[in-house]
Amino acid sequence: VQPPEKPLQAEEWNRLRESFQSPEIFEEVMFNSMVRCNSSIDVAKSLLTHVAKSNGDIAYNLLVKYLALCVQQGQTSEIRDVYDIMKIRFRILESGAYNLLIRGMSNSDQWRMALTLLEEVKKIMTPSRTNYESCIKAASRHQEMDLAFELYHEMLAKDLVPTLDVLQAFFEFSRGMKGAELQKELFGILLYLRDNQLYPHKTFMQSIKLWFESIPGGNWRGQLTNIKDSGQCPVCNHQLEDSNLTEEEYNNLKERIIRDVIHGTDTFRKTSPQEFEAFQTFVENRLPFDIVIDGLNVSHIKPRRMQCENLFDAVNCLAKENARLLVLGRKHMLINSSNWKREIMKEMQNKADFFFAENISEDDAFLLYATLRSGKHCKFVTRDFLRDHKACLSDSLTRHLFRKWQRGHQISKTMFLSVFIQQPASNYDCVVQTTGDTWHIPYKDSFEEKYSYRVPRKWLCIQQK
Amino acid sequence: MQSANVLLKKILRSSVLPFAAQHGMKKDLFPLSRTLSLSLCLKQDNSGSPSERLDLDAWKKVMKSGLQEEDRCETVSEPKELSTLAAAREILEMWRLAGRSVPEDISEEQLKTFMECPSKSAKKKYLKYLHIKELYKKNDKRKMDEKRERRLETQKQASETDVTKRSSFICLWASSMDKAYNWRVAQSMIFGQPLVFDMSYEKDMSIREVANTVRQIVLSEGCNRRSVDPFHIHFCNFKDDSLYHKEFMKHYREAWGKLLITVTDQCYTDVFPKDKLIYLTADSPKVMKTFDHDKIYIVGSMVDRSIKTGVSLARAKRLGLETAALPLEKYLLWNSGAKNLTLDQMMHILLTLKDTGDWKKALEFVPKRKYCGFVNRPVHELKRTLNLINTLKVGKRQEEVRKQFAKNYPKKLTQK
Repeated sequence: VQPPEKPLQAEEWNRLRESFQSPEIFEEVMFNSMVRCNSSIDVAKSLLTHVAKSNGDIAYNLLVKYLALCVQQGQTSEIRDVYDIMKIRFRILESGAYNLLIRGMSNSDQWRMALTLLEEVKKIMTPSRTNYESCIKAASRHQEMDLAFELYHEMLAKDLVPTLDVLQAFFEFSRGMKGAELQKELFGILLYLRDNQLYPHKTFMQSIKLWFESIPGGNWRGQLTNIKDSGQCPVCNHQLEDSNLTEEEYNNLKERIIRDVIHGTDTFRKTSPQEFEAFQTFVENRLPFDIVIDGLNVSHIKPRRMQCENLFDAVNCLAKENARLLVLGRKHMLINSSNWKREIMKEMQNKADFFFAENISEDDAFLLYATLRSGKHCKFVTRDFLRDHKACLSDSLTRHLFRKWQRGHQISKTMFLSVFIQQPASNYDCVVQTTGDTWHIPYKDSFEEKYSYRVPRKWLCIQQK
Repeated sequence: MQSANVLLKKILRSSVLPFAAQHGMKKDLFPLSRTLSLSLCLKQDNSGSPSERLDLDAWKKVMKSGLQEEDRCETVSEPKELSTLAAAREILEMWRLAGRSVPEDISEEQLKTFMECPSKSAKKKYLKYLHIKELYKKNDKRKMDEKRERRLETQKQASETDVTKRSSFICLWASSMDKAYNWRVAQSMIFGQPLVFDMSYEKDMSIREVANTVRQIVLSEGCNRRSVDPFHIHFCNFKDDSLYHKEFMKHYREAWGKLLITVTDQCYTDVFPKDKLIYLTADSPKVMKTFDHDKIYIVGSMVDRSIKTGVSLARAKRLGLETAALPLEKYLLWNSGAKNLTLDQMMHILLTLKDTGDWKKALEFVPKRKYCGFVNRPVHELKRTLNLINTLKVGKRQEEVRKQFAKNYPKKLTQK
């Protein structure tokens, strides 16, 4: 239904209501369309008056919808009125109304009211991250950075994940402000980005840059750049952190892969204890490998060719520099068939070590184990993103480690006119990083990047002169 | 307007309660928001002057005027601190007023479960589940009432035209059928082919999944009992104090002890010779060709809502049992949905296979939404024709068809 342009009299509303197909929900539908069309609140008021007069009461959901309309148009005094009415009518309010109230009040000059509302919400449930977002933004907009940071820490303590918007607001509104404490807090946010492998988007990056450059007496200079493949920053010639894990992280990851991915709840789900043991002794006897290849994955690169030829090409291409290769496959590859020719398989086995798992076992788990066992220099080849294995890891910290290790050690292959093009594993780690007098911050071009596995190529280099 | 307010207060002071209670539609809101039925008097008030200027804030006055009165009579008896349960109940009530899917009545136990939900979305889901359950219940009740009314009416008519029918059988269909069924099942317990339900998946399931599992098993048991040549059902690995047991008791009550099935806490490997057992699992690499009357088939009693692949395959692997999957791809052009079927569907399929050996007939019990139709030729032949069609066609469409095919027939199958 189309909401009317002007406030209507009671009988006009009645007429509209009667012409509507299901009169019971007429008011609800009308309010929804008012919110959608952003009608003037006078129209909404006239409908409310009509409802109040004919029923003697206005149902809660209509009030909430009216509230939504007021919030949408920033009608602060109306919001307050509705709040007062709700407050005396109902002993408690539910989250939907609170969300609207907090959002509405935080955008007005009575923004402190939003904080009171937040306290009220805390009494009945955990506030949502958007509740905090509104309050934090309001506080920082009014230069109350201490308050904003207090709320921010409270939010983190409740395991809520702040939006990039909130983080940006901190940089945006701290521009030009002095204070060692403030500076420490903002560096803390940058480290939060680092720990959670988050990348700011372009406008966020600009806020960070401007904040750095605005620090009084800081002499920071920021420049946009692309990092070379070697991992050197062309602006300050600083070498970025490499993608290797520390000894401790590495061992931790290795243990967790064995525990969560290979064994999981039941070793039999992915392999069997006998098979895993056989594989372990096989690997121990031949250590260390330089490259571990997922045979089946590689063999499907070119669908028109024989699968063993694909694999043969890959092995030939990688075997050049005396690298020790391990190819993982399944037993069915050994049976002479149209896709797997025995002679070619024989020839390949001269160039690389092969391990054939049972046909119903998961060879990916073996791939991870063999690579990790061989040491930090070892890389692996597969086009698989290994998402399902990452998902088996039980905590997010280990998942982050896995992603980092994967970025540094996975060689994926694309096929272009029957020539292998290696997409090399990157040498440097793509996270926010600092040396004290320099900061390097990777950023995304747009707000929504489509692929989570892609790391940004563009960087912000900030150095202190 | 002033006059309206005065009027309103007057009405409030006089007994509105019975009047409001009569007002059926608003009855639900009653404890939280007093409904004042002013319609009559206010309408009369306005009807005289249609050209009167609109007072846009009139609703606020109406809303506020009611409450001062209310405060006076209510706040005294209200306890200040609410227990957490009562507070939760109140929030639910508000959510319901806001139009979310929340059940009207919620028991103490359900409220506790609600509060124990680990996250907001879990809470929301649980409430929605209760809400829908409530809707179904209400609908059923309404239908029952209608039915009863109709029956009473026909009875009335029948009593007017008092005719008693004569027949050579006393009307005892239900119980004599029961006896006949029980006789057959008792026969099958001595001579019949065993069918094992493996009851060892409790720890892999949530409470609701266990409840669903038991429901499906109850259905399967029912259809087995009614079949011409029933299986001898075994529940193996069945622990007496398990969740399974609790749920079964809910369904069967005292009939549980009289069921003509074998329940044991032993493993099937202890009961039957290993080489006769075949574990049925959708993850099995082997595809069942024919139904073997000398084998003992095992069905895992598990409902798997969160995709846990290979759990039952792992169990069979550990015990070194033969496994098999139904030849779904061979006979059906699979459309969408997981290849694992519900337990009662499995039971229907196995019973039909046992009686007729006809795959086409048996696989009729696979839900229709999951497949497009029956394949009358083997898949590899179909694949060849598909390839031929693809090579004849040029352009984007080809890739599409290939992808569709790859989706329906994964590598595992096409490699052979």
